[in-house]
Amino acid sequence: MIKTEELQINIGPQHPSTHGVFRMLVTVDGETITDLKPVFGYLHRNHEQIAEVNTYLQNMPYTDRLDYFNSMANNHAYAIAVEKLAGIEVPERAEYIRVLMVELTRVLNHAGALGFLINDMGAWQTQLAFGMREREKILDLFESASGARLMCNYFRFGGVVRDLPDDFMPRLKDLLVAMPAFIDELERLLRENEILLQRSEGIGILPRDLAIAYSVTGPVLRASGVAYDVRKAEPYSVYDRFDFDVPVGSVGDVYDRILVRIEEMRQSKRIIEQIIEQLPDAQGGHINPKARQNVRPPVGDVYARVESPKGELGFYLVSDGSTKPYRYKVRAPSFINLTPLGDMCRGYKVADVVVILGSIDIVMGEVDR
Amino acid sequence: MPHLRAEDLREMLGRDLPGAVQDPSPLQIVPPPSHGPQHGSFVTGDALIDPSRILEAALYMRDTLGYTYLSDIAVTDYLTDGLLEVVYRFYHVDGGPSLALKARLPRENPALPSLTPDWPGANFHEREAFDLYGITFVGHPFLRRIYMWDEFEGFPMRKDFPKQGDKYIGEDE
Amino acid sequence: MDIQRGNIIVMDRRTGKLRAGQGLLQGLKVVWDHWAASFRKNENFTQIRGNFTVEYPDERLQLPQAYRNMPVLLYDDESGHELCTGCYQCQRICPPQVIHITQAKDPVTGKMVPAATEFIIEYDACMSCGFCAEVCPFDSIKMDHVFELSTADHDSLTMRKAQLNRPISYYTSIAPDLWEGVKAGAMKKLQGNIKRRPGVIGMAPSLTEKIKARRQELAEAAAAAPPAAAPAAPAAPAGKLTPEEKAAKLAAMKAANAAKKAGGEAAPAEAPAAELSPADAKAAKLAAIKAANAAKKAGGEAAPAEAPAAELSPADAKAAKLAAIKAANAAKKAAEAAPAVAAPTTGNGTAAPTDEKAARLAAIKAANAAKKAAEQGNNE
Repeated sequence: MIKTEELQINIGPQHPSTHGVFRMLVTVDGETITDLKPVFGYLHRNHEQIAEVNTYLQNMPYTDRLDYFNSMANNHAYAIAVEKLAGIEVPERAEYIRVLMVELTRVLNHAGALGFLINDMGAWQTQLAFGMREREKILDLFESASGARLMCNYFRFGGVVRDLPDDFMPRLKDLLVAMPAFIDELERLLRENEILLQRSEGIGILPRDLAIAYSVTGPVLRASGVAYDVRKAEPYSVYDRFDFDVPVGSVGDVYDRILVRIEEMRQSKRIIEQIIEQLPDAQGGHINPKARQNVRPPVGDVYARVESPKGELGFYLVSDGSTKPYRYKVRAPSFINLTPLGDMCRGYKVADVVVILGSIDIVMGEVDR
Repeated sequence: MPHLRAEDLREMLGRDLPGAVQDPSPLQIVPPPSHGPQHGSFVTGDALIDPSRILEAALYMRDTLGYTYLSDIAVTDYLTDGLLEVVYRFYHVDGGPSLALKARLPRENPALPSLTPDWPGANFHEREAFDLYGITFVGHPFLRRIYMWDEFEGFPMRKDFPKQGDKYIGEDE
Repeated sequence: MDIQRGNIIVMDRRTGKLRAGQGLLQGLKVVWDHWAASFRKNENFTQIRGNFTVEYPDERLQLPQAYRNMPVLLYDDESGHELCTGCYQCQRICPPQVIHITQAKDPVTGKMVPAATEFIIEYDACMSCGFCAEVCPFDSIKMDHVFELSTADHDSLTMRKAQLNRPISYYTSIAPDLWEGVKAGAMKKLQGNIKRRPGVIGMAPSLTEKIKARRQELAEAAAAAPPAAAPAAPAAPAGKLTPEEKAAKLAAMKAANAAKKAGGEAAPAEAPAAELSPADAKAAKLAAIKAANAAKKAGGEAAPAEAPAAELSPADAKAAKLAAIKAANAAKKAAEAAPAVAAPTTGNGTAAPTDEKAARLAAIKAANAAKKAAEQGNNE
């Protein structure tokens, strides 16, 4: 008689598809997963405590290193939190530049994330190379504006560090010509590809109710059919001035997450087009000249959040009236989006685990902090 | 879009859960400077809940008010005031600003009822709070350290945790 | 939920237009198109196909002006003076705390001089955030564009001042527009700082020798010029004065004024006459106390030798001090000549010094101060 036994295996921490140093403690029954526990902390550097010994401004470059794919979005969340705490006003033009950068970040994140996801499925590098090429163009723009490609450190309290360079707008307009072509091509490549459909359809389903109970955010939540986007739910910055749609999925599987990300890139492009229209009329400069960078906010606490490409990124700050935050807490989207991983993988095969993990789109710098 | 404010929440909780809401005492945060401008004290506007009734209040938020979305659990160590404050942040799925519930715990053996059985999303938040601040969440199914290794002693985010030296290597190195 | 200014789109999962296998072919066509287009070069942002590869390191992309990698220190090409004043702003703001500054001190008075004697940046721990360049009030620290810093030697990434120094002309070559924006203010502040820097303090170490040579040249030019043209200045070329020369002239003028105030009559050349000059008793006393303190440090025996030297100082202690520093520098060079000058002057003092070195130093200072004061007097 054949006797079956459950087996515990580790995927990671050194594994090419775990997007960093990340371990999954998987209990398998044959090929089927019965339990999965994410184990992390290998990259833990106590970011929050480092922040407590730094001044408010000194933390800005550290936020770049949370989610190193989207440093602009991290900067934005932190800048908003400190501005809320210290009561700093941001000129209109600065707000537009910020939103422009964050939306470009969203495009580059999704282009990269889809590439890595397809990479995990086994389409070795093809889609990733196409996605990375588009990402490079955006990084070139970031470099010309902020001085760095990844660790932009571009935002300051009350604005951004310097105005857009002269050649930025023409290059951006060129990029906007290429972007729809890229997105359409991406869709042609992925949307009805039978191999992709087999690997993604019906895999890693996260039902709507469970998604809310698990506090997942971002494209993962929207793919589960919840039209919750912080840009719409609690508009910050100047997001209430733009027309854009919120794509949602209907099933909540990996395929829906791909579709939602593709559509989000289109919506970001729409926002960027509106910014280009409205930016010349925007009042003020790139930074509020009255805003002191060495802020000393009044005693109190604040929570501010943005819709980062990965989900809701929030900063909880407590000020004791000095130049350093008394408490600095990051609500990291990658970290919380990992919570349902066990439930999402239960009942699927081992090979699906890397696909499901890829569809969540995590960055370990943000998970471990 | 619901637009409940913190005062509304306090009033509703006071009405529907009598005795659960506490009056917040002002927090000093850091010892007042001996000279120079005083930073003042901090009185929170959010609803301060009796720690033993936090689960009740959270379920009230979810089931009665429709704030189903538990976004964040943040802990702050107020060393001068001798307490730990836990902030639960809830959102309505239709949008709008957040509502926060706060609970204050003693620094010695702090314990709270766990929200994880009702909100699986609280799982990692509570493990993080346990790991870095040493708060025990009663009823949590898997309360283990999440960032630090299991053998680690002490709670590194507490304000009295030594910021220099390494107890595994020694003070000198 | 309802959404302002937009709709909720439920993603259409499958169009269902394609038969089995066609989706795969459609995808393959995308890959094929890319492959076919990869034989031509394409650098245009509007295109998504074509070869975008830059054959680094043979080809390099033009880096944007705002690009930042590692911080460097600028010095002025003209005067060789560093823009850095050692104000510690960058050290304070640096998030990973990798900047270490030692501020320059006047070797004679011990006062802070707006210059840095040592400036260390640990490149290995620098996070290239650019805050130091942003916060620098003198526009001295700027972000370099060099990114090929890999090395097998970890220690070589701890950069000292000599390795960090770059001329302004280098920075204008990599970021002309950014320098243009701050140029006027930076140069104005630099001129102000140069006036407060004695000797070669604050000069780029690599340039110190060059500058000395140039100064020699200028001095020779001045000697060749008719002496009546500018008798007070030690070196006054027909052309424009370098800032140090201006400073020296200023000091000389001050000394002359002080001498005028003190004596009225032309001061004789030697030390006894200088003893008469301290009209301002307070200043003299102060100088004496300082000298005593310095002497205490040098050794108890030096005190008597130091004290008379202080008494010799003219009323304007500052000018004399300045002169003394210059004299000390000169004296250091002329190692043998110095004791000869010192001996007679110390003879006017009270006690024979046992600590020869300290005494000699004090004597040189005194002698030079006296000489200068006398010179000024003669010139009047």
